[in-house]
Amino acid sequence: MERPIAYDKLAREDRFVRMRARDVAEIKIAQGMPPFPDLSSRDSMRERVHGILVGELQAMEGAGRTVCDFPDAPWEFTMDMARQVWDESRHVETYLGLLEHLGGRLGEFPETTILWRCACAEDAAARVAGVNRGLEGLACDVFNQLIHIAGKIGDPIVAQSVDYVLADEITHVRMGSRWLNELTRGDPERRRKAIEFQETIDERFNLGGTRQDGQHDVVPISIAREARKLAGFTDEEIERLVKSTQRSQVY
Amino acid sequence: MLRALGGWIALTPELPAKLLFGRHVWDCAQHADLWGRRLPELRAPAQQSEPANDRMVKFADLVESVEGPRETIERVAGVYRVLKPHLITVYARHLASANPIYEPPTRRILERCLEEERRHAAAGAIVLARLTRDETARERAKVWEQRLLSVLAEAGGVTGDVPAPLIDAAVLAESPHAVKQDLVEIPPDFDPAVLEADLAMAVDAYRRALETGDVEAATALVEPPARARVMAEHDRLGDQVVGSRVVALAAIGHQRLVKVRLEGGRVIGYVQLRWAPSKTGWRIAAADLVRVEPVDVSPAL
Repeated sequence: MERPIAYDKLAREDRFVRMRARDVAEIKIAQGMPPFPDLSSRDSMRERVHGILVGELQAMEGAGRTVCDFPDAPWEFTMDMARQVWDESRHVETYLGLLEHLGGRLGEFPETTILWRCACAEDAAARVAGVNRGLEGLACDVFNQLIHIAGKIGDPIVAQSVDYVLADEITHVRMGSRWLNELTRGDPERRRKAIEFQETIDERFNLGGTRQDGQHDVVPISIAREARKLAGFTDEEIERLVKSTQRSQVY
Repeated sequence: MLRALGGWIALTPELPAKLLFGRHVWDCAQHADLWGRRLPELRAPAQQSEPANDRMVKFADLVESVEGPRETIERVAGVYRVLKPHLITVYARHLASANPIYEPPTRRILERCLEEERRHAAAGAIVLARLTRDETARERAKVWEQRLLSVLAEAGGVTGDVPAPLIDAAVLAESPHAVKQDLVEIPPDFDPAVLEADLAMAVDAYRRALETGDVEAATALVEPPARARVMAEHDRLGDQVVGSRVVALAAIGHQRLVKVRLEGGRVIGYVQLRWAPSKTGWRIAAADLVRVEPVDVSPAL
């Protein structure tokens, strides 16, 4: 098998429309809209849920590639990544249900592949740092806020479903922290590069100031401090992320 | 099998197959883990395995070799019509002969693997049936299955000494109820009726103009500043459009991205057209030819 694969080999049914995240954001801004869907209405929540759904799909695909691409990695690493594949496949099912619940349609919004591209790092340590700590950390932020707002608007179906998904994401971040440490033990240069890759991803997914430290219903994406602590992020790491959101001006 | 299924998820366009692989990767990992942990209890190194012979390596390579986006049928047939049914057969025979007094640890692993592999194979059969609705597709699956079985027979099965038959249909049965957990309900295929009526009219007019080679009519539906770029994008197809249909619709705010399948004599192209509402109706603001492939390998996904 080809290992790893080029990121443009990601396969989709025809019903999906793929577009660069930057282009989608620019077209929205040109229409006077926020670049990233907020949670202020059922319509925007539907768009957010669609975005999460394709994100889960790409997370499943990324974890699957990690199972395939690193046959020489420790067996327990492969086991964790295989578990993650299963979790993500269940998340896809959950979000397919939530999309239907919100009156949405698969393919209703463009799919961006920024997440998948991040999952194509050639080094296993960089991949778990970027995907499990960077992207799954972002998932903790997004899901935590979604649970809060769904509860507030009286939608227990969304709140409860996403709460179960969040529990898995916290576990995935923990896996990422464990494997970042274990795979780079005795190799500070590899560790430095992996962390640098994660920070690049954190920066990118601050989405031009969309992710911020603040109240769930005030900022577009709020940083989930408690969920991140449960996932094993240190206070120092959370503060560093908060600081990075304050200087992020581009998406 | 674990690594092949994991790697194929990203390479497989069809959601039922993609999610089927996603469902089974973890079960396969646990099976491998159970066998790997059992090995040192039988005085062999933990988590180390080796193929029975070179022909078995050839078989595994052949199973894994189908990585193209149009080879999902072969991927599903290889794993779910050959490899898993073969493993079920081997496990069932092993269980039947494993001593209940001396070998309960092995028997427990066999019982679990048998139950789950039966479920997997049954779920795979359902997905394969969906992928092979026409005779050509069914023939493809059958040809690939036969080819793999013949290589597997040369290897003597996974252990190198499996007696014929390599697949015993009598031990494969699984209840439909148990299989349900392995299958994700996928929303119906795209329906062009979701296009707003006025947008559908504009898109249909544009498609007709392309099919009849009426450049003037097509150009009239494009915003003036974008005309040269949009027409240049169509030219990249390099073929006369003889048929077309809408295959996807996505919203970006008030604008719409319409994906159209363009059928030429030699190639099939997929163009994403960005339509913007204007005082004179919907107009194309941008076009992007996202994929072109030869006619003979391009069934709709």
